[in-house]
Amino acid sequence: MIQVDERLLERIAKDKDFNAQACFNCGTCSALCPMGLGLLPRELFRYVLLGARDRLRELSDVIFSCLLCRLCEANCPRGVRITHNIRTLRSYLVKDEYRIL
Amino acid sequence: MEAKIGVFICYCGGNISDYVDCERVREAVSKEPGVVVAKTFMFTCSDAAQEEMIADIRKEGLNAIVIASCSPKLHLQTFRNMARRAGLNPYTYVQVNIREQCSWAHTHHKEAATRKAIRLVRAGIAKARLSIPLEPIKVKTTPAVLVVGAGVAGMRAALALADMGLEVHVVEREKAAGGWVKKWARVFPSGRPGEELVNTLLKGFEERENIYLYLETEVVEKRGSVGQFQVRLKGPQGEQEVEVGAIVVATGFSPYVPKEGEFAYGASGVLTLQELHALLKRGIEGRFVYAGREVRNVAFIYCVGSREKEGHTYCSRYCCTAAVYLGLLLAERYPEVKQFHFYRDMRTYGKYEIFYHNCLEKGAIFLRFEPPDVPKVEVAGERFFIRVKDRLTGGEEVEVPADLVVLVTGMVLSPNENLVNVLKLPVGKDAFFNEVHPKLRPVETVIDGLFIAGACQGPKNIAESVTSGLAAAAKIGALLLQKELRLEPLVAHVLKDRCTGCGECVAACPYEALSLKTEDGKQIAYLNPALCKGEGACVPVCPEEAIEIWGYGHEQIRSMIQGLCKEDL
Ligand SMILES: Cc1cc2nc3c(=O)[nH]c(=O)nc-3n(C[C@H](O)[C@H](O)[C@H](O)COP(=O)(O)OP(=O)(O)OC[C@H]3O[C@@H](n4cnc5c(N)ncnc54)[C@H](O)[C@@H]3O)c2cc1C
Ligand code: SF4
Ligand code: SF4
Ligand code: SF4
Ligand code: SF4
Repeated sequence: MIQVDERLLERIAKDKDFNAQACFNCGTCSALCPMGLGLLPRELFRYVLLGARDRLRELSDVIFSCLLCRLCEANCPRGVRITHNIRTLRSYLVKDEYRIL
Repeated sequence: MEAKIGVFICYCGGNISDYVDCERVREAVSKEPGVVVAKTFMFTCSDAAQEEMIADIRKEGLNAIVIASCSPKLHLQTFRNMARRAGLNPYTYVQVNIREQCSWAHTHHKEAATRKAIRLVRAGIAKARLSIPLEPIKVKTTPAVLVVGAGVAGMRAALALADMGLEVHVVEREKAAGGWVKKWARVFPSGRPGEELVNTLLKGFEERENIYLYLETEVVEKRGSVGQFQVRLKGPQGEQEVEVGAIVVATGFSPYVPKEGEFAYGASGVLTLQELHALLKRGIEGRFVYAGREVRNVAFIYCVGSREKEGHTYCSRYCCTAAVYLGLLLAERYPEVKQFHFYRDMRTYGKYEIFYHNCLEKGAIFLRFEPPDVPKVEVAGERFFIRVKDRLTGGEEVEVPADLVVLVTGMVLSPNENLVNVLKLPVGKDAFFNEVHPKLRPVETVIDGLFIAGACQGPKNIAESVTSGLAAAAKIGALLLQKELRLEPLVAHVLKDRCTGCGECVAACPYEALSLKTEDGKQIAYLNPALCKGEGACVPVCPEEAIEIWGYGHEQIRSMIQGLCKEDL
């Protein structure tokens, strides 16, 4: 079960450019991804929107595998800033979850 | 008078003649007693054919005509008008349907279709032979209207009617006019407080001298019929009677009230949509606090009391839009409050879709559920946990913490048993009032002169309610601005010398057109022709054959049966 983590929601809400809510789940991005990251970005974004902190930790491999090539972003019909969103997540994982910095 | 009948048979450009041998039909019926002319046409409805028939009527001095063509739904009026132009009483014209009821139905058997057509036309001739010239029933109209219910639908209808120069009596059972709308903090799509809309309408009332508003008043009795109703009103000053030509019922809806425990309703912090409106209308300064605790998360649960498997099976239409619109107001006043919307389908139809998108952009989170997996609300001290299988996350179970749960409740009919009884309002299976046809006659009821408008017909938003109010006003204008109504004369009439006053017909009539009356010391049935629909429920129950319908007399029907049964084909 996904438990909504309010701190994660607040943290993401601070980033005004994070626009995953515009995604309407069409799947164009997943189909185009040269890394074959099937999960990315639509399901991932859904987890972020819901504040599913545990899922993000489980998915950190996927989040760091993205090439940031923007093939998906260039074709997203909803103008989701996919690579920006992924950078936001990486920074969240590094700073808030793993506290590497 | 000797019958001189013209019979005109239509090919309908092959629609009929491909299956029915029209020439054989003409042959067979031309020998019927009374027939002076029998002709066929490619299209009887064409101008040329009509001119030829008019010429025949005049030349031969015809006193009745039969046209065997399509359904009367299509051309009854066309041919009645033609008869009138030829100087013939339109009610001595008989239409026989040999298309829908013959050629189209029997395309596989031409011989049988032809024989059936002969029988049908013979029956028509038999009817025409005994036809009587009739005149429309004339009713003087009272240039006044009663509007029941002063919500936005009733008020807008009243303004439109007043502007047509009609006198308008508006009856409202509450202490103030405006209905539900005045309670809403902010209404879509205008963004104005509901009260402002109502005040605009009220100002319109004040500016017009021909609108009378009766508050805390109800309708207790209705007599009369279209064009001339007498209605008794009961208010704080006692009873009074008004004379009106038509009535509009705009009594609105009631918000669905959840059952105790339905989504934890009853617990402090579980509100309905209208309760949240009341809260936001009062306004809370600074942070969003409810019952002494700060609200950080709000959960909206949609479709409560709507789209049920049994009971309220319909969609209440307004609520998706109202909920996202309230979400926007919430986001504007308290941007730090997080919103979770648990919905089934987002029915923010038409341009209202934009409000859903705006709400998404404000960061509200939408989770989609599908029955039987409805959200479960668990009360945990001062908070709630809502658990749902979210279809947008591949059906995974999600648990959301919330401080306030808002139930997006639907619409049910405002309880109105008395009014239903007094006005004989037709009630549909969803318990709302029924129009004749939702698309073709959307504000008329089966009772002439009685109209319905607004949310009492079924769930509607403000724009839709007002539109139907205006539609009712337009219909009434068309009715009452003619000083005299002309009603179809094909209604029942009592044969006084035969009637024994047994009352069987009175009980059979669904429209209360019949009553018992004493005349010359004898009790007999009395018919109000303006109420009668001519549908004939009374005719077969009368043991004395003392009641019949004009244009469908007993003798006419008997001779039609003989015409149908005649074996010389
Ligand atoms: C929570 C909520 C929010 C809404 N928000 C919006 C919105 O933002 N935008 C929008 O377009 N729509 C909104 N709506 C819908 C809107 O309220 C309705 O469309 C509107 O009220 C319908 O108007 P009406 O005149 O048909 O009925 P009502 O508003 O119900 O008015 C009916 C009137 O008739 C009176 N009455 C009833 N019975 C009798 C009787 N026997 N005799 C005399 N008087 C009687 C009642 O007292 C009442 O004054 C909302 C509805 C709800 C529940
Ligand atoms: S292409 Fe854009 S809208 Fe489509 S699923 Fe990917 S992020 Fe969402
Ligand atoms: S930016 Fe990342 S997710 Fe998008 S196509 Fe490239 S590798 Fe795939
Ligand atoms: S309008 Fe929306 S909330 Fe209301 S009943 Fe229909 S689907 Fe449910
Ligand atoms: S024809 Fe129908 S409406 Fe007319 S009096 Fe008879 S039962 Fe009533």
